Amino acid sequence: MGSLATIAWTFLKIGLVFVGGGYVLIPLLHRIMVDQYHWLTMKEFLDGLALSQLTPGPLAILATFVGFRAGGFAGALAGTVAIFLPCTALMVFLTRRYERLRNIRLIREVLDGVVPAVVGLVAAAGWKLGGTSLVSLRDILLFAAGFAILQFTKVSPLFVILGAGALGYFLHFS
Amino acid sequence: METTGNRVSLGEIFRTFLIIGVTGFGGGMAVVALVERVCVHEKEWIGHEEFMHGLAFGQFLGPFSLNACTFVGCTLRGRIGGTVAAFAFILPSFLIVSFLSLLYFRYHELPELQAALQGTNPVIIALILVAAIGMGRKIRGVEPWAIALLAFILAAFFQVNGLALLVLTALWSLARARFRQEHR
Repeated sequence: MGSLATIAWTFLKIGLVFVGGGYVLIPLLHRIMVDQYHWLTMKEFLDGLALSQLTPGPLAILATFVGFRAGGFAGALAGTVAIFLPCTALMVFLTRRYERLRNIRLIREVLDGVVPAVVGLVAAAGWKLGGTSLVSLRDILLFAAGFAILQFTKVSPLFVILGAGALGYFLHFS
Repeated sequence: METTGNRVSLGEIFRTFLIIGVTGFGGGMAVVALVERVCVHEKEWIGHEEFMHGLAFGQFLGPFSLNACTFVGCTLRGRIGGTVAAFAFILPSFLIVSFLSLLYFRYHELPELQAALQGTNPVIIALILVAAIGMGRKIRGVEPWAIALLAFILAAFFQVNGLALLVLTALWSLARARFRQEHR
């Protein structure tokens, strides 16, 4: 068990590194939580990772799981707030300046130049997920139905996603 | 572009991002696609171009999904709006994961979530694809298309890291902008 201050401070540091990009998060958390502090066993860490992937929201919500292990509900709260604090603060700070910065031509041109790459990355994320998740006829039917609904109607994605989840749960048991 | 005639209330921001938080299965791009659909198309809170700019620098700052929410909230209502959006987005995940952690550390078993995910996964892929198509429609010109295609190929088939791709594109755009300035 760690003290709340230790938990908060540890996650704040992770949150700061995390600002540089989400890719370092998993190895970093693993090293600190499992090897250094022994807050979790390796199996617990992997289960927590799975849990974070299965639930809605960002993968970094893993901080909630680890924080819970280290210090109960209060630990979960401290870990979650601390890990998301640096990036949110920085994002707010930058967005407040964005309105002014975008009027500078050079910055505007760079931002505009990056936009197509973002589109490519979005498409690539869809492609990669498709390769691993669309494996059966049922998956492909659900995909086609979802695509048709989302592309051609204005139905809220809330219903589409939760409906598909319920359908998946139901079909699994039939 | 000024986004709003009448100000969006903080309660409305909170509600919207709470719902996005509840349905944001798959993290990252799935959430971004969701935010794009809800905030750009349904509610028309923010313009397409602004949103894309926000995504571009949101990607540099860690959790992509959270940053997209913070950006939209912040554009609507400043610091408070951004904080409310971020808080509302994380809240459902936090509560769900806390609850599941409690079960896990007590019984050492993960609940049967995999089944429901088998249903949501295909639909999330559809959501991401629809977002990509919508964004792609706004691309004009040969060079932007070449960049988009190259980014797609490198990320999808060569596992090139997204952040590295964005940094490279930013450097390329910067160099080109400088070049143009000097040769005028």
